Amino acid sequence: MLRYNLKLALQSFKRAPSLYFLVLLTLSVGVGLLSANLALVNAMAGDPIPEKSDQLFHVSLNTWPTDRPPAEPLHILRYRDAKKIFESDIPKHSAVFYASGVYARDSKSNSLQRFDSSVRATTSGFFALTNAPFAYGSGFVKNSGMEVVIGSELNNKIFAGKNSVGETLELDGELLTIVGVLKPWSLRPLFYHATEGRAFNLTDDIYAPIETAIDLGWSIHARSSSTDSNNGVKFTRDLNVFYLQAWVELPKEADVALFQNYLNNYSQSLKEVGEHPLDTRNELRDVNAWLLEQDIVDQKILAFTLASVLFLCVCVFNASSLLLSRFHSAKFEVGLRRAIGASNRHMLIQGLTESALLGIIAGFTSILLSWLFLKLSIQFLPDLANLAILEPKLLILGMLLALCTAISSALYPLYRANRYAISAELK
Amino acid sequence: MNFKALLKSLLLRKFTTGLLVLQLAITLGLLVNSGILALDTQAKISQPTGLDNENILIVSTHPTSGNYRNLDYYRSIATEDMVKLGELPGVKSVSLTNQLPIRTSGMRRNVYDLDDPEQEINDQYLQNVKYILAEETLAKTMGFIILEGRFLNQSDQLDFDSEEKRNIVITASLKKALYGDKSALGQETNNGFIVGVIKDIILDPTLPIDKQYGYFSNAVMERIYIARYYVLNVEPGQMANVRSKVRDTILGVQAERDIFNVFTMEEHLKEFYRDDQGLADLFLLLCSLMLFVSAISSYAYSQFHISRQQKYIGIRRALGARKIDVLLYVLTETWLVYVLGCLLGVFVAFGFNILLSQHITLSKPDIMLFCLVTCVIFISGTLATWLPAKRTSDIPPVVATRTV
Repeated sequence: MLRYNLKLALQSFKRAPSLYFLVLLTLSVGVGLLSANLALVNAMAGDPIPEKSDQLFHVSLNTWPTDRPPAEPLHILRYRDAKKIFESDIPKHSAVFYASGVYARDSKSNSLQRFDSSVRATTSGFFALTNAPFAYGSGFVKNSGMEVVIGSELNNKIFAGKNSVGETLELDGELLTIVGVLKPWSLRPLFYHATEGRAFNLTDDIYAPIETAIDLGWSIHARSSSTDSNNGVKFTRDLNVFYLQAWVELPKEADVALFQNYLNNYSQSLKEVGEHPLDTRNELRDVNAWLLEQDIVDQKILAFTLASVLFLCVCVFNASSLLLSRFHSAKFEVGLRRAIGASNRHMLIQGLTESALLGIIAGFTSILLSWLFLKLSIQFLPDLANLAILEPKLLILGMLLALCTAISSALYPLYRANRYAISAELK
Repeated sequence: MNFKALLKSLLLRKFTTGLLVLQLAITLGLLVNSGILALDTQAKISQPTGLDNENILIVSTHPTSGNYRNLDYYRSIATEDMVKLGELPGVKSVSLTNQLPIRTSGMRRNVYDLDDPEQEINDQYLQNVKYILAEETLAKTMGFIILEGRFLNQSDQLDFDSEEKRNIVITASLKKALYGDKSALGQETNNGFIVGVIKDIILDPTLPIDKQYGYFSNAVMERIYIARYYVLNVEPGQMANVRSKVRDTILGVQAERDIFNVFTMEEHLKEFYRDDQGLADLFLLLCSLMLFVSAISSYAYSQFHISRQQKYIGIRRALGARKIDVLLYVLTETWLVYVLGCLLGVFVAFGFNILLSQHITLSKPDIMLFCLVTCVIFISGTLATWLPAKRTSDIPPVVATRTV
């Protein structure tokens, strides 16, 4: 039966090719555009570390030394607050870090060419906390020492992708040894640094021990706030310079309360010596809550998604009126088939098969078109480059959307076609 | 024209007419809002910045070698860079700074008059005043207009480890916030003594026009490690020539530098609004797709006469209707649907405007834009209907005799 219905559908397509082409075109453009936008929204709103996003917590403290803080609580910490966090043994892992940048070259290379590299100056717990995937070697164990871990992209640029553990890099004139190389690692969004519009940056090129980076004076490449003037990161340990971000891994719920308590006790101890003028407001936010709070989904894309939804409606209306005129002109055929014994149900199934087939074809073209639209969006909004990815679930969504829109555009025309009186049509 | 007959004919096809009206309404709504978006972006890009936009060339650069950690070495190279850049034919002046105008991020500090620390509580913007490191040629290079006193000069550059209070120059809006209409010269702020006031420039376009607070101090050489922009003022007509030479000139002084970008202030302004422009362009692209789809629908809608009303048109022709009458009849029918669509579209446009405003900043629709968009929709609709209307008017009267 299905085969017979499919054959009839194909015949129908052949009979009015330009009309079906137009229906196909409008539906696939509408679905393709919406899927492309949904792909972008999906990439922005995704969970970057689903295996433990509910166990990782961002720490914000309220330790600003005056009564006029830039925000309450503040997401960046000064060195002594952060130290309190990474010294605690309540978290399974903790990571305290700041973003920096250096120029890197292989110290043995004859070329003086250096590569602009983003740096994560971090405590050693970072790798276990973020599940950073190692290709060679491992993370550094201490928070100081002339050792680094490098990302896959930098390893490709400098060492052509080979195992570079043990090699020495010259970073801003200092020699540091590579102890680990990561596999290609994408985190979308980059949850560990989602502030300052960096949520869709790539993972870093170099991971260096935090104390070493501070000692070498690697400058702060992200937001910092202070009440004391300072002459660079080297001198910030004892000053009120807020620039470090902290994450902790707390697998058990009891630990969350315990750690919250630990932070509050710390605030209390500051209060007792008159160094905590603000109310105690220390916050732990898990990955998804933190990302939600950062409002990282691009509002422009949301606005354009709204417009694409409207556009898809217009496409469905258009397809529907085209199909209506098509079914109307096929009235005679319908009448004839009804007269020789086809039931209303048969006609309905046949109509639905036809629109489902149309939907499937539209689905395939819309996948192609959504890929094109994604490429086009990057031309217009270059910041989206790291986000324009069509995941399998979006391909399926696009397919389903095409199927639904094709069937819904055919519903009313089918209903009308089934109400034609047989005799009138055959007269 | 018999409107009753027209309405009757429309009612014969309630479903398709309804769909077309809805489509047109949505199209109008989208077109109007896209128009607003495009005009808003255009207005932002062409706003006056208070700078000599076309003649300013900027080079962003950073050293790649560890030798530059010796700041005296860094300063000597920077000084030589500026001399060499200044010698290029067509360059009027060269300067060095840590941050550019027309940016949201950057170095900021709080500013208040030493006698009135409460100022920054009453005006929150005073807590985040842009702090620009400059040297004496920056005013000339950027084209600042001095309103009071003077710009910074060599005497304002202190010894590098000096704890002395600095001399500063402030923007007019900052002066107004601190001292109202009084003169600011000689006044002491928490960041130093005021020696000059310049006319406002757009420092951060996301802030209100009267909150463009900024202050300048002659400290760029002291903190050379954050001075990443060379600014050049170029004679009119020499831009392309100078632009092609700056990279080699800088690398010629010392090669271990990364030159990120060379751009004019005009390009910098456009870059700031790049995403707004991108979104406006995407909306315009969507508009053309929407017009195309609506045109297909209008075409299909008018085809109705040829496919289903051939007999009646034939009779009309036989009863004396001229070709032009039939043509006008079909076109008027389309126009009627378009009028309905556009009327409904006014509501859609307002609704969509409110919806979009939840996500982006957008002006309210204005009447001129409605008129313009309505014209565009009518023209595209008429073009799409023309062919079927023409074919309908070609139905010969003899059809009437065949089908009776």
